[in-house]
Amino acid sequence: MSEPSTKDSGATKTPMVYICGECHNENEIRPRDPIRCRECGYRIMYKKRTKRLAVFDAR
Amino acid sequence: MDNILNDEKPRVILGEYKVTQNLPSEPTVLDEKWDLKTFKKRFRVVIVRSEENELEFDLIGIHPFLANTFRRLMLSDVPTMAIEKVHILNNTSIIQDEVLAHRLGLIPLKADPRLFEMKTDPTAEGTEQDTLEFALKIKCTNNKDSSKDSLRAEDMYKNNNVYSKHIKWVPIGKQKERFSDVGPIHPDILIAKMRPGHELDLKLLAVKSNGRDHAKFSPVATAFYRLLPDIKLLREVEGEAAERLQKCFSPGVISIRHEKGRKYAVVANARYDTGSRNVFRYEDLKDAVAMTKIQDHFIFTVESVGALPPDVIFMEAVKILKDKCLALLDELSHV
Amino acid sequence: MDFDDPALLKKPIKEIEEKWKLVPAFLKVKGLVKQHIDSFNYFINVDIKKIVEANNKLVCDADPLFYVKYTNVYVGRPDVDEGFNISKPTTPHECRLRDMTYSAPISVDIEYTRGTQRVSKAGLMIGRMPIMLRSSNCVLTNKSEYELAKMNECPLDPGGYFVVKGQEKVILIQEQLSKNRMIVEESKFGVQCAVTSSTHEKKSRTNVVCKANKYYLGHNSLTDLVPVSIIFKALDVTSDKEICELIGVEDISKLTPTLEECHTLKIYTQLGALKHIGSKLVAKRYVTSASKMKTPVDEARDVLATTVLAHVPVENYNFRMKAIYLGVMVKRVIEAQSDKKFMDDKDYYGNKRLELAGSLLSLMFEDVFKRFNWELKSIAEKTIPKIRATQFDVVKYMRSDLITNCLVYAISTGNWTIKRFRMERLGVTQVLSRLSYISALGMMTRVNSQFEKTRKVSGPRSLQPSQWGMLCPSDTPEGEACGLVKNLALMTHITTDVDEYPLIRLANNAGVVDINMSSGMSIHSPETFFVFLNGNILGTIRNYKKLIHTFRMLRRSGLISGYVSIYPNFLHRCIYISSDGGRLCRPYIIVERGRPLVTQNHIIELEKGIRSFEDFLHDGLIEFLDVNEENDSFIACYEKDITDLTTHLEIATFTLLGVCAGLVPYPHHNQSPRNTYQCAMGKQAMGTIGYNQKNRMDTLLYSLVYPQAPMVKTKSIELTNFDKLPAGQNATIAVMSYSGYDIEDALIINKASIDRGFGRCLVYKNSKCVMKRYANQTFDRIQGPLIDTTTNAPMWKHAVLDMDGIVAPGESVDNKQVLVNKSVPTVSAVPGSQTTSVEYKDTPICYRNNEPSYIEKVLVSTNEEDTTIIKILLRQTRRPEIGDKFSSRHGQKGVVGLVVEQEDMPFNEYGICPDIIMNPHGYPSRMTVGKLIELLAGKAGLVEGKFHYGTAFGGSKVNDVCEELAKHGFNYQGKDFFYSGITGEPLEAYIYSGPVYYQKLKHMVQDKIHARGRGPRAVLTRQPTEGRSRDGGLRLGEMERDCLIGYGASMMLIERLMVSSDQCEVDVCNLCGRLGYCGWCNSCKSSREVSSITMPYACKLLLTELQAMNITARLTLNHYCE
Repeated sequence: MSEPSTKDSGATKTPMVYICGECHNENEIRPRDPIRCRECGYRIMYKKRTKRLAVFDAR
Repeated sequence: MDNILNDEKPRVILGEYKVTQNLPSEPTVLDEKWDLKTFKKRFRVVIVRSEENELEFDLIGIHPFLANTFRRLMLSDVPTMAIEKVHILNNTSIIQDEVLAHRLGLIPLKADPRLFEMKTDPTAEGTEQDTLEFALKIKCTNNKDSSKDSLRAEDMYKNNNVYSKHIKWVPIGKQKERFSDVGPIHPDILIAKMRPGHELDLKLLAVKSNGRDHAKFSPVATAFYRLLPDIKLLREVEGEAAERLQKCFSPGVISIRHEKGRKYAVVANARYDTGSRNVFRYEDLKDAVAMTKIQDHFIFTVESVGALPPDVIFMEAVKILKDKCLALLDELSHV
Repeated sequence: MDFDDPALLKKPIKEIEEKWKLVPAFLKVKGLVKQHIDSFNYFINVDIKKIVEANNKLVCDADPLFYVKYTNVYVGRPDVDEGFNISKPTTPHECRLRDMTYSAPISVDIEYTRGTQRVSKAGLMIGRMPIMLRSSNCVLTNKSEYELAKMNECPLDPGGYFVVKGQEKVILIQEQLSKNRMIVEESKFGVQCAVTSSTHEKKSRTNVVCKANKYYLGHNSLTDLVPVSIIFKALDVTSDKEICELIGVEDISKLTPTLEECHTLKIYTQLGALKHIGSKLVAKRYVTSASKMKTPVDEARDVLATTVLAHVPVENYNFRMKAIYLGVMVKRVIEAQSDKKFMDDKDYYGNKRLELAGSLLSLMFEDVFKRFNWELKSIAEKTIPKIRATQFDVVKYMRSDLITNCLVYAISTGNWTIKRFRMERLGVTQVLSRLSYISALGMMTRVNSQFEKTRKVSGPRSLQPSQWGMLCPSDTPEGEACGLVKNLALMTHITTDVDEYPLIRLANNAGVVDINMSSGMSIHSPETFFVFLNGNILGTIRNYKKLIHTFRMLRRSGLISGYVSIYPNFLHRCIYISSDGGRLCRPYIIVERGRPLVTQNHIIELEKGIRSFEDFLHDGLIEFLDVNEENDSFIACYEKDITDLTTHLEIATFTLLGVCAGLVPYPHHNQSPRNTYQCAMGKQAMGTIGYNQKNRMDTLLYSLVYPQAPMVKTKSIELTNFDKLPAGQNATIAVMSYSGYDIEDALIINKASIDRGFGRCLVYKNSKCVMKRYANQTFDRIQGPLIDTTTNAPMWKHAVLDMDGIVAPGESVDNKQVLVNKSVPTVSAVPGSQTTSVEYKDTPICYRNNEPSYIEKVLVSTNEEDTTIIKILLRQTRRPEIGDKFSSRHGQKGVVGLVVEQEDMPFNEYGICPDIIMNPHGYPSRMTVGKLIELLAGKAGLVEGKFHYGTAFGGSKVNDVCEELAKHGFNYQGKDFFYSGITGEPLEAYIYSGPVYYQKLKHMVQDKIHARGRGPRAVLTRQPTEGRSRDGGLRLGEMERDCLIGYGASMMLIERLMVSSDQCEVDVCNLCGRLGYCGWCNSCKSSREVSSITMPYACKLLLTELQAMNITARLTLNHYCE
């Protein structure tokens, strides 16, 4: 079965991209980085939409 | 009153407070046993009005159950194609994924459903026989070459409105050769509104199904019938009262005849009366009119959504009824 | 025009057309929640300065030279601390999203001594004040729609609430009995006259009661009732004659027993009286050094000067005013004893005052400011005597968190504790309900009463005639809070305090004789009238008519505040002038000599935009009347009612309803409880809650996919912008019976309508997660998904996680899937030692719901403490299903009983089939004629292509509407000829059909559906758990049990109550009757008589618990057949 991939290294190496709530600039933020937009200093970030495909019933 | 209404036709009488049946003494379609010979003899179809998407025709000498069956079949048994699955690769617009999918589903599609098969397994991959594929990929951007002072969204942005015309057909297999013109019927159905940075990237899969499954598969906006109105004046109405009487009915139902300086009302054409029964507003006119409807004369109106011509829809309905009857007979013979 | 021509007077007055346009003009300046904002503005701009000025000096006993003096105070603009002492302006929406408090610094300018130096400092922050949205200091005020959109704020949002820790909090309007006014009422002793005095320092209640024909004064600082004669003597009115004069009752014999008391107690002088009172003082709880020195006489004098009737001023121990005031109180009691009409009605709305955010916050602020100063003082007293290297600098000890925390705590919990008044109130604030726009608006106009909800009294609950026009007669909850929770009407304004001083000057100039100047004899002479200003006696006057006239003219000309009221009370022979805050008032058109001053030209000017509502006030065409003055006016509802005596004209009749009742079309045709029901239901209707609803992250938000503005509008709907933020859809309904699934108000719904989007709604929920930091340098962490090694894909629970361990927007989550893969460090980590291996425990945030949701968006931010917060917004789209609740706007709620295919629906001559079929039995008993007319008007509007109006006491006439229908070929009664969709034959009856506005209510089966076969049990009792959220069992309650007993189904009872619940095998020893274990009785040390029986575990638990209390219950077993 699943094996715990302890402290998964992927997260720290490739920082995630978040979108600033004010200027919509894309920011790369690592875990425990301060959450602040590099462009405008706004402190609210949103996650980007999933890359995975979503299927919906048109009902 | 009775003697005026007593002819060979079965009628309903529109009273002030209720509808009453008035059956003639001889048997009519309503109560005699159905057999093909008499039906063939009596039954008539008259096409009254035929437009691109609308058809008006009369079925005369038919039992309500049959007329109603055709209506019901047209509404929910004649199949069409409609978008059923929406694969969302990207949607950064403000409209929610499910709502977007629902809106796309309701767009009428130009594709002859008779050339497709019903998809038996909803989870299976679509084939060229049972599925149509479309793509909607659009991105809203700032319009760089717009004049700066315009504040209208249409001038400031590109693709700020997503219309059904933006849906592009992606033929599967040999579909390109088999069908020529597939896509939304109306190019100007607003799907979503967007602003710069918003993006849609969708794959749409349309399948064949019927209106019972979902209203989007219904081939008609509506299909209904009404009984032929028959209006008779029981006494002479003249002068001001005649004009008042004329206003109580739809235009063209009552006309006013001028004779020797006298004005009096006559029934011109009762067919397009809407059954408003507004005569009952006037105490003095109440008894002057007998409003009836002929029970074996059905005025059908079929408003097609556009996928199939209205006459074809009716013919399809007849076919379905035939198939159903055959299937029933088949079932019965196996009992 | 010559008004003196009598013929002209008789001429009927033409109706001022479109005069209701004054209402939008009023709302444009006042707004729907102006009461809150006005009150808060008054507090932060005026009152706070007064409070600081009243407590501006701080001295310390340790150093006579030391002082701190506040020279100024001001509240700044809201900002947020960015660390490093930098602050940045903020917006309310940012605070909502980041769970912060929308607050501004309170700064003071001070002057103080540091050692021997005198230092002054400006702009010192002493705390932070939560800022009311749209108040004068809010960033949203006077912003354009575009600017508001930039700040993510809805332009239609009324404001008037606070954002505290990310939550929107409303300080509800509190209703109270007037302060500083005499109220004559029935008490346990008989008639009493009570005054609740309230000043900045003191709050006390003084009663004058009659007991055994003697008049006494009661007060909470006195242990016992004291005869008024003694009080009079203590107030330096020593002669009995003078006392009688001050009381001013003709029949002196009534006073003799009271006066006699003095003589029996041998009290003849002021000193003697004070001594007597001094002996009856309530012992002080803590004795300060200053009060220690005082003799009982001094103390009694102090109590009389400052505490008894605290609001009556006493200067240099001149008790004259107080004596007169007391005299009037006694007189009121004597009058009321002989004639019941002198009794005051406590429920009369003129005797009520409304407390708003401003006044409540000012109480709170004054209390905490005093505590702040007291703490500074005690720090100073402790530190100054110490010999230190640096001089004592008080600024260093001024910490801002005391005031900040106190205010934030009060608003966020609603616990209003004012120490100096010993006041403790709970539930003063509430979370702003954002179920729908109307529910938010309705909350802002809510008035909460201080009455106990449990008491079964009808007086305070019933609708008082004096509430006319001020409070909505329909909008009140059903049940226990009925009539205690009220709502303001559309045009109600609540006053704020107006400075008294100019009014006193004015009154004196208008002929009021100062009370200190007049002799005791003349005070109560039958020609003179007392003049009261805010409950205090100002003086006496003979020509009272002139006084009233002068005041009213000055008010109309704008020379004194428009909210000052003056009215005579002929019973009391008093003129009351009020300028205090919290009075309800509303604007009226002034009528003079039978002519309204507002003319058609004025209205035309208003329409053109040349004139504003304020101009009407300035020009003296319109004025505000409060409840009391309303009673001295003769107000006409319509122009046709104006007579020579009329003084005022109503602006628009529909304004007597509130915001919620304003939604109902044709409410005047409905049975009144139906409108009340709709008021409650309008708040549960889904729809749009604001233009910024897509940017919000509420814990629960319902919204309709395709909301529509109603076909039948009302003026109130337009004024409250309900048509811009609607909550419902226009459904075509047919009133007929269909199948049997429509009994008891159930609705039949067309499936095709649902397919096309009718009643489709979105449900948003949010999941929150805070990343904590701990003292030992550890913190919560989030890990990426666990990868299944065999498939190299994330395990199912982590399937929706991104690499950062947080779900991604757009994903669908199923029950028990992880949203945030968080883990918390276990406490074992030793602080200081930087060990690399910190143990973590998984505490994932999971999704818990049987229906899947989609992730709308994920927000990552930090809060005020700089800890990371993650908010996840989850979304569900729901189509209506059987059991979902719908309601029209007439209190006619119903659930969906059946969903029918379109082909089975009846259809009419036009091919229209209804969206909803409603059973006609819903009408006769409910008498909602308004709904019938709504249908008619809606249908006519449909064919004509316009909106009809169903405004209260007006709206489109039924006859006109019918005429319109007939014109378009429809039946004038709205009844159409229908065919059955099933048989295809014409229906025997004509069907009443047309559009009716339907609301989808928040109660949906999906959130309530619950069933269980087997499932979890409670640990203690081993019985099935309770409640849907715990997958609990379905209770067979007492009444169901009674049914089984009555039926005699005893085995069924056993099965339900034991076998299917907490059946348990126990060993019972038949020797000792106690419970054994494993076939062994431990007390008898034998297994001889031990037998095993089944009983409910709860029973076994009871036996063992009793045993633990040293009570043994012994069981005796018998064979069943013996």
